Amino acid sequence: MSNKAARNLFIFGSLFFFVILVILTFDTLAKLPKRAPEITEEVNAGKMVWHKYDCIGCHTILGNGSYFAPDMTKVTERKPKEYLKQFLMDPKSVNPKASMPKFGITSEEAEKLIAFLDWISKVDTNGWPPKPILATAAGVAGRELTSGQRLYQSLGCSNCHMINGIGGTTGPDLTHVGSKKDRVWLFGHFKDPKAYVPNSVMPGFGHLSEQELNDLTDYMIALK
Amino acid sequence: MTIKHESQKIAQNFYTFAVLLFLVQVAIGIIAAIQFIKPDFFILNFNIIRSLHINALVVWLLVGLMGATYYVVPEESETELWSIPLAKFQFWATVIAVTAVVLGYIWMGLNPQANTLVFGTRLLNEGREYIEAPRWADILIVVSVLVFLLNNFMTMLKTKKWTGIQGTLLGGLTFLALMYLPGMFYTQSMVKDQFWWWWVVHLWVEGSWEVIAGALLAFMLMKVTGVKREVVEKWMYIEVGLVLFTGILGLGHHYYWIGTPGYWLWVGGIFSALEPVPLLVMVWDAFRTTREARVVTNKAGLYYTVAHAIFNFVGAGLWGVIHTLPQVNKWTHGTQITTAHGHLAFYGAYVLLILSMIYVTLPAIRGVKEYNQSRAFLSFWWMTISMIFIVLTITGAGMVQTYMERLMGLDYVAVKTTYNMWFWILRAIFGVGFLIGVGIFVKDYFKIGKEPVPAVSPAAEKA
Repeated sequence: MSNKAARNLFIFGSLFFFVILVILTFDTLAKLPKRAPEITEEVNAGKMVWHKYDCIGCHTILGNGSYFAPDMTKVTERKPKEYLKQFLMDPKSVNPKASMPKFGITSEEAEKLIAFLDWISKVDTNGWPPKPILATAAGVAGRELTSGQRLYQSLGCSNCHMINGIGGTTGPDLTHVGSKKDRVWLFGHFKDPKAYVPNSVMPGFGHLSEQELNDLTDYMIALK
Repeated sequence: MTIKHESQKIAQNFYTFAVLLFLVQVAIGIIAAIQFIKPDFFILNFNIIRSLHINALVVWLLVGLMGATYYVVPEESETELWSIPLAKFQFWATVIAVTAVVLGYIWMGLNPQANTLVFGTRLLNEGREYIEAPRWADILIVVSVLVFLLNNFMTMLKTKKWTGIQGTLLGGLTFLALMYLPGMFYTQSMVKDQFWWWWVVHLWVEGSWEVIAGALLAFMLMKVTGVKREVVEKWMYIEVGLVLFTGILGLGHHYYWIGTPGYWLWVGGIFSALEPVPLLVMVWDAFRTTREARVVTNKAGLYYTVAHAIFNFVGAGLWGVIHTLPQVNKWTHGTQITTAHGHLAFYGAYVLLILSMIYVTLPAIRGVKEYNQSRAFLSFWWMTISMIFIVLTITGAGMVQTYMERLMGLDYVAVKTTYNMWFWILRAIFGVGFLIGVGIFVKDYFKIGKEPVPAVSPAAEKA
């Protein structure tokens, strides 16, 4: 191959692939609106807050960012909004071990940011992030779960609480909760957390049936 | 080798600024590494420290590329630069703009509320990774790059010697300038935001920058080994051609999970799996050319050039391809695996590229044939061994994170603060090793050609 032929191959080949990229870009941009909910003014205002505080300087979103703090793609599915709001305004007030500093995020800013994060959680991401294998496998292969354990899973308690090393660090570790709290406390706390822990940001579960609350309490008591 | 044109000396201004920013970047990197262990260490929070770390990197590499170009274009065109005052103006304007942006980041770090909206854009920090620089700075950067391109194109037009090397170099730089534009508008959708953001980031580091690297690699091999222009240029065309054939649509590997259609899994998977191929050809090219060279005076220059080719392939190629297939990336996306790849790729593909350009051209700029090369080798090994261990520790952290967080479902914070703690500690220690290497390099940079050569090697005598 002569130098001239190599040069022409480089130039025209690259142009060819660039044209394909442009075509795919047009196609993608046309398809995007159907893959996410409509963007309201509040969602856009929340995105502006996201940029203002350079959130991406620590967090990732859609998996892209700084890998220093948790990914925010599905955060509104995992944490109660009331918790998120208080955390954003003053992280250490709801989680003393939090690394995130207090930036002076106002109440309105926090609400807009949560609306934006809620929008992100509804984007069709081709199944990312995948459900952890262990979470999917729990209850299969002959390991029968108690109804309390099933409720613990379906309500997403492990998004915030940890048992035997599995689960979140947002709320208290429940590995030995059965030897710390009694049945009456646990049952009442499920119905109205704030009545027992004044600053609690845990959502109440008063909407559950008596039977379900009992099942959950049984499970907690068993964690000695 | 001495310079043929006085105006090539302007390269030195750019090199000096680049080298000092390199030192700053690595020192800041150590602060960031310590913050992984102790988040409230230092007066500025991690987000500001990281913005400084990655922006300093991008800026010093760009400034280094500008310096290299100001050296290469007069040499290839066989004439003086079109306008030295313009080049000097462009240099100082860049220094001032960069300083202003850095001060803005620090101000924002001390007072987050200072990042207000001005004319609909952020005053201090756009809050977008890598392109944090506010819009006013974007415009200054574009002006600076346009002035720079104008100066070089006008130089080429003086003699119209369209050599392949400088044509490819300036083509790559023009592509680079154009690909900055998709990052300069606001979109309400975070999906579109990241879509265009990847145009900038990917088509820079896996597109235009690799084209520039291919052209500079050809230039350095030709200068250091004395191999024929026709041969290096032909392989250069093949390399940069393959870079773009695979790299342009390889962009798809960033569009797997950000809300874009599913066909990107196929496009990204297929093309990005081929991305290491041109980098491997570059390694082969470097070795083949080196084997043919009988007498090499600038051994350090050749050493860095070949190392650049090797670590470009290992860092950008191998460490990228291990997690580029969607089936793997589904689990590793957004983990420390990406960080590990980022570090080795930038070190191999671009840090070593600029350092080798400095070692190949600086002795000529300073007007010496021989220089004390011992520090060059010493700094190379301090930096390279440290970087390899930095990357191995982050890769280890990424594997633990992928397994425990993504596969088992443990909490992000739990994995980071407990299971990966030793990796962070080791990474910080190797970071200090890297800083020592950079320190030796910076000292060497200021000493080259300004101290007596200790002993003349036999090879150099024959030359």
